[in-house]
Amino acid sequence: MFELILNVLLFVFFGWAFFTHVLEAPVPIKVQKNPYALQPDAWPKAIIILLEICLLINIIKIIKKNKGKEDFTLGAFCATIPNFFKSKLFIGIVILTVASFILEPLGFMVTSFLVLCAYGWLLGAKKYGQLVIASVCITFILYIIFSGLLSVNLPRGYGFLRDFALALENIVQSVKNLFGGKKEAADAAETAAVVFNTVRTMIG
Amino acid sequence: MSMGQLLASGAAAVFSPSMFLMVCVAIVLGTVFGALPGVSATMAVALGLTFTYTMQPIPAIVFLTAIYCSSITGGSITAILFKIPGVPSSAPTTFDGYPMAQRGEAGKALGVALLASAFGGLVSAIAMFLLSQPLTAAALQFGPSDLFAVTFLGLSILTCLDSDHILTCIISGLIGLLLACIGQDKMYAVQRLTFGSKQLFAGVEMIPVLIGLFAITEVFNQTNPKKHRMSAEDGVGGGAVNTKMPSLAEILSIKWTLIRCSVVGTVVGILPGAGATIASFMCYTMETKLSKYPEKFGTGIIDGIAASEASNNAATGGAMVPLLSLGIPGGNAAAVMMSALTLKGVQLGPLLLTQQPTYLSATFMSMIVTNILMVIVAMGIAKVFAQILAIPYYYLGPIIVMLALIGSYANQMAIADVQIMVIAGVLGLLVKVCHFNSAAIVLGLVLGSMCEQNFSRAYLMSKANIFAMFSPVQHPIAFVLIIACIALLVSPVVMPLIRKKKA
Repeated sequence: MFELILNVLLFVFFGWAFFTHVLEAPVPIKVQKNPYALQPDAWPKAIIILLEICLLINIIKIIKKNKGKEDFTLGAFCATIPNFFKSKLFIGIVILTVASFILEPLGFMVTSFLVLCAYGWLLGAKKYGQLVIASVCITFILYIIFSGLLSVNLPRGYGFLRDFALALENIVQSVKNLFGGKKEAADAAETAAVVFNTVRTMIG
Repeated sequence: MSMGQLLASGAAAVFSPSMFLMVCVAIVLGTVFGALPGVSATMAVALGLTFTYTMQPIPAIVFLTAIYCSSITGGSITAILFKIPGVPSSAPTTFDGYPMAQRGEAGKALGVALLASAFGGLVSAIAMFLLSQPLTAAALQFGPSDLFAVTFLGLSILTCLDSDHILTCIISGLIGLLLACIGQDKMYAVQRLTFGSKQLFAGVEMIPVLIGLFAITEVFNQTNPKKHRMSAEDGVGGGAVNTKMPSLAEILSIKWTLIRCSVVGTVVGILPGAGATIASFMCYTMETKLSKYPEKFGTGIIDGIAASEASNNAATGGAMVPLLSLGIPGGNAAAVMMSALTLKGVQLGPLLLTQQPTYLSATFMSMIVTNILMVIVAMGIAKVFAQILAIPYYYLGPIIVMLALIGSYANQMAIADVQIMVIAGVLGLLVKVCHFNSAAIVLGLVLGSMCEQNFSRAYLMSKANIFAMFSPVQHPIAFVLIIACIALLVSPVVMPLIRKKKA
């Protein structure tokens, strides 16, 4: 039944998109007047028409295949919905959805720690202390590889989380500088002192 | 300069002890960069660029070429072990590589991937050295009609990805093609199908969709207790990681696959706009069609891995052909290489061979040495990565999730890409329930943009006459390819009907 519902929803959605969203800005007059130019809406519209035909055939096929089956009713489908919302799969989807929204305000470090803990628990980890320690370690390893070594600008978060991320970046930079020479080492020590003071202020 | 002198100068450039060591370092860096999700071959070359600022031109070329070749190979490691394609061109490697890793045959899958990569790379390096000029001339004959036909040929796999669900495969492919239309139209910059979302103005990025459809869906599946899932105490390989290499007989059994895919990969790599990703999808298609056992593709056979990896590495050599002989980069990574070489005073173009022949020979020797050394060095790295499979899944699953999240974000530093990845992960689940096909969606998304652009150009050039676009007189290549496409698309539907009638 779910397969049928999804196919019908896709059919309706693409039909709606065909009439309302294929073109969302005016086509330049030069293009409109050029009889040889393929208009910008022609290609997506052709795809949607093909898609609608295929979906319609598929809907008919699904109905023919399942006609008369006991569980092929709207009632039977509705009965399965509460089970889905209680399932681990649903919780997994929620964890990842939430992670994608908190990544910017909370930053990489906090999001990574929370995701590792939450998903680890969901997948059946039983030793919680070990899970928390592993999550912290993995977060730091990922941070050092991607931010420290590959210079990927991972999200820093807002407020004090941003200060914390900047402090960490300074430490990583200082460590990098230590390999650069005496002047850099002096700069690194100075930066480390600044970082230390920042962290102390934050804790204070 | 004669051919012998060219070879000697190239060998002299690469075989000095310091240079040899540098190539080894570049292979390690390239393989690790390639293996990390979100670090594409382009990004790997760009990261490698920082090491070359103080180098002379020849060492810089050798170093960057080694990083370029090995990063494409590195992409296969995570594709096989975690179902996360390190680079987009490794996406077809997941189809057969991951099922093999799940069966505990990670070593064999990785071994085949590395050997195929090396073979593809060597074939394309030789082609680049010997046939640079004629191959470039041939590639220049390809007009928009021909390029459309080439991409359409790639799309013809849709009807044989899953012979039991041909219609749903076509629907999936069309959804992929429609996803590629989202954002500004590439020809006239008109906004389409964004539904008012500013994040979709630039279109749907391929990498988050790939990661979502493959890696995230897999983690979701393992979360679902109703599905067959591995024990939480065990890793992907059921706790046992077998790093046994493929036997000689197994390698010999895929010799024709390797040869065919290396040649096709080189040719596709030379074509402007096409690249390693299109090459790997095309060759996977081709091998599915030519195989005696097409139904086994996607279940974990070495032929599928060999097709994908030989072709995507062959495309790297192919992309160097127009770069060196015309100064036209074949892909994004080649464009970064081009800027680095220009920075070093290398004059890329037709005069390179006459005025600076050492650069061509150094590139050739670097590719040869890299592809041979890569098998040994990358195998060491792959074995270390393979051990990760023994980690309990309640640790490994969340690590895969975080790698996927970083990989999607690092591509453009955009949170929207992370959200697209999650949506693609959920879409992957729905696709499974409704018997749609993830590979078909990806195929449509990868080829969609190139297909539309070339169709649009060809349509304009032929003055809106579709028959003239594929006329056997004006465009013989396009004509032959389109006939082949139609035959390939129709055959899985028509053949059973003919067989039924005969019976």
